[in-house]
Amino acid sequence: MTEHNAAYDMSTKMEDNELVITRVFNAPRDLVFKVWSEVEHLKNWWGPIGFKLSYAKLDFRPGGSFHYKMESPDGFEMWGKFVYHEIESPEKIVWVNSFSDPEGNIVRPAFSATFPMEIRNLVTFTEIDGQTTITLRGGPINAAEEERNFFLGMFESMKQGFGGTFDQLEGYLAKVNL
Amino acid sequence: MNVMIFSALAEPHRLDIIELLSDGPLPVGDIAERLELNQPQTSKHLRVLTGAGLVQVQPAANKRIYQLRPEPLQELDTWLETYRRIWGVKFDNLDAYLHQLQKVENK
Repeated sequence: MTEHNAAYDMSTKMEDNELVITRVFNAPRDLVFKVWSEVEHLKNWWGPIGFKLSYAKLDFRPGGSFHYKMESPDGFEMWGKFVYHEIESPEKIVWVNSFSDPEGNIVRPAFSATFPMEIRNLVTFTEIDGQTTITLRGGPINAAEEERNFFLGMFESMKQGFGGTFDQLEGYLAKVNL
Repeated sequence: MNVMIFSALAEPHRLDIIELLSDGPLPVGDIAERLELNQPQTSKHLRVLTGAGLVQVQPAANKRIYQLRPEPLQELDTWLETYRRIWGVKFDNLDAYLHQLQKVENK
C-alpha cells in the first residue's frame, strides 16, 4: 500500500482523502517536538532549501499563529502562515497552512489556480527506542468547490485507479509511455 | 491542472477503458465487447474521457479508433510528485538540523 523511498526513508500514501507522509527521525520525541514549537528552531529548518526565513513570528498555542517570510538569495519573497488548531505537547500539532501577504492575510498560491488555499495538517510524533516517527496528514479545508473537487478527484482516482499508491501510478505511466 | 481529469478517472468503467487502451488503440465496438458494456454506455464514457483530454479519437475508414493521451496523467503525477518532494526536502532539512543539534548537545 505504501511507497517506500529508501533515500528519504519516507513513505507516502493516500488514506481517508488525505495524503499521509511518514518518516522516522533519529532523535528523541521531546527534541523533535521542540524544533516544531520554538521559533528559533523553526527558522532553521522550515522553508524550502536555499530560502531563508527572514521574518518569523510565532505564537505557539491553539488559536495562535506562525507568520513567516521566505526569501531566496536572489531576492524572491513568499509569505506563509500557520494557524494552530490543536496542540498536545509532545504528541500532536494540528494547524492550517496557507500562503499569506505581509499583513498575514491568506492569499492564493502563485503557482496554481486550483491548489487549495488552506491545507489542514495534522502531525503526530511517536517515539520508539529513541527514534521519532513523524506522521503527517494533509488535506484541504474551507475549500471552494473546485478546489475540493481537485483534491477529492485526485484521491478518488488514486484510490480506485491506482490502489492508493504512487508506485502503481508511476508504473502505469511508464507503461503508457511505451 | 485540469479538474476534469479526476472526475473522469473516478468512474470505475472509465478507468477500465483507460487500462484497456494502455495496450493500444481500439475501436469503440471492441472496447464495449471487451468490457461487456453496451455501445451507448461505452460511447458516453468515451465522450467524458475525450472531454478531459485523456483519450483522442482517430477516424479510420468507417471506424472511430480511440487512443490514450498520456499527458494529463503525467500532469497528475507531476503534481503529486511536487507535493511529495516539498515534504521530502522539508524533512531532509529537519533531519539534518536534528543531527546538528544532537552533535552540539553531545559535545
